Amino acid sequence: MANHVRNVLAIAGKELRGYFASPIAWVMMGLFAIMFGYFYTVYLAYFVRAGMQSQFGGGPPTQNINMDMIRPLLSNASVLVLFLLPMVTMRTYSEEKRSGTIELLLTSPLTDFEIVMGKFIGAIGLYAALLVVTAVYLSMLFVFGNPEWRPVVAGYLGLFLLGSCFISAGLFISSTTKNQMVAGAATFVLALMFWIINWSADSASNPTVSDVLNYLSITQHFEDFGKGIIDTTHLIFYFSFISFWLFLTLKSVDSERWRG
Amino acid sequence: MIEVQHLTKRYGPVTAVDDVSFKVEKGEILGFLGPNGAGKTTTMRVLTGYMPANDGKAVVAGYDVFANPIEAKRRTGYLPETPPLYPDMTVREYLTFVARIKVQGASASDRAMRVEHAMKKTHVDDVANRHCAKLSKGYRQRVGLAQAILHDPDVLILDEPTAGLDPKQIIETRDLIRGLAGNHTIILSTHILPEVAQTCQRVVIINKGRVVAEDTPENLTHQLKGAATLYVQVESNGDLLPTLKGVPGVVKVDVADRHEKFTGYEIEAAPNRDVRRDVARAVVDGGWGLLELRPKRISLEEIFLQLTTEERPEEAQHG
Repeated sequence: MANHVRNVLAIAGKELRGYFASPIAWVMMGLFAIMFGYFYTVYLAYFVRAGMQSQFGGGPPTQNINMDMIRPLLSNASVLVLFLLPMVTMRTYSEEKRSGTIELLLTSPLTDFEIVMGKFIGAIGLYAALLVVTAVYLSMLFVFGNPEWRPVVAGYLGLFLLGSCFISAGLFISSTTKNQMVAGAATFVLALMFWIINWSADSASNPTVSDVLNYLSITQHFEDFGKGIIDTTHLIFYFSFISFWLFLTLKSVDSERWRG
Repeated sequence: MIEVQHLTKRYGPVTAVDDVSFKVEKGEILGFLGPNGAGKTTTMRVLTGYMPANDGKAVVAGYDVFANPIEAKRRTGYLPETPPLYPDMTVREYLTFVARIKVQGASASDRAMRVEHAMKKTHVDDVANRHCAKLSKGYRQRVGLAQAILHDPDVLILDEPTAGLDPKQIIETRDLIRGLAGNHTIILSTHILPEVAQTCQRVVIINKGRVVAEDTPENLTHQLKGAATLYVQVESNGDLLPTLKGVPGVVKVDVADRHEKFTGYEIEAAPNRDVRRDVARAVVDGGWGLLELRPKRISLEEIFLQLTTEERPEEAQHG
């Protein structure tokens, strides 16, 4: 067990170093900071203006920084994640296959599971760093205001799980191709599909189909987290989703061995 | 140390390795020789656990590579055809990472020591802090070799370790590999013949996925022609064939080249019989001038061509 953990961490560490040694991590963090900062400013200005209006009468009667600012902000952050994470995962396997370094990993005393987990955790590490960037903005609200922390933590947990879903799916797609661009584009489309899959739920004639489509929607499960609710149904959905794609990645790596 | 039995690997309808069997003893350097696409890399990839075989068995350092891949991999160092380097890492960072995944439970100081040792042995310590992306071909190859010997494996598998190097680097790399034998059992693949003669104790020649010959480089030379051939040049344009054929021990005489003033003959002697003295006497006694007399050794190149171009009867039948 200790050996497994050590091996997974060795791969994860290598992945993280790879992200930060190349411009990827820094560009991601920069873009994420700019976009999130823009949303932050817009919502903050809106929130302040609405607050002033309600003070002099005429605006919404009560204002809640959690519901009116943090929640939509995190919801917007999830859209950024949809766009940025395919760029993180697209190289995970593709690059190793293209440059031949996959031969080093597959001939080292590591199991395929350790390699897949290591790559998954490495990408999660970079994603966590992106989330830390957003936390810097939000911490300002705690310094100058008095928001409730529970919904914020729940929202972050939701965002984290949402991103992990994209990473697991992206890992699988990257394991099927040598071409980074193909991996990135396909991951984006796949993630987008799961994002909007419930749009067709309303028009589905069969109620079961409609339920299934709603259940498969990644965003549907995210909403409760934004409200500060941590529901096991959603946790189970996210964990199954992640396990499913990691399992497929494992199978894909294994079948790749046979094909050479 | 390495035992391969009836190994078969197919890629869809293509059989890349067909019923290959061979053995390598401890401390030996085995040359794996064959034209491009003969199945050398595939065999090596099966031995290193990179891919499974469809049939057969491979035991490396006492562990079956299919049943117990982790233990086998722990005892195997592998240099693929393209050294598997991460361009963003420095040589030291790269080797430290390799040490982390290959040496189980080593302390950080133990890993650092192994890295330094491997860099010294392969002469890459002067580029320790350079990024792998910026290394020359020769250095890349040697860092790849450092990576392969880092965990002090029992078995080293090197896929064309001298491909793409300049002559000086080739000599250095060969010396390096020879220096590694003894402690390590080595298989190296190549399609360059002198390399085998210079570095390997034993040769396996593979063609179209099958082993066509296995022996020492010297024995292969003997086996194939059965006997040494002499080349004799005589200062005469007359016919010496009857005279030469009369020399005891001579089996066959051919005219190799005929010029205005001299003639060259190729003389094949019976196995294990030195006919040089008798041939020289016969020529001199006949009153001709002996210009040249040398053993004509068949090169590995010729053996190789003979073996790999010879059509197998069953193959001819199947078309």
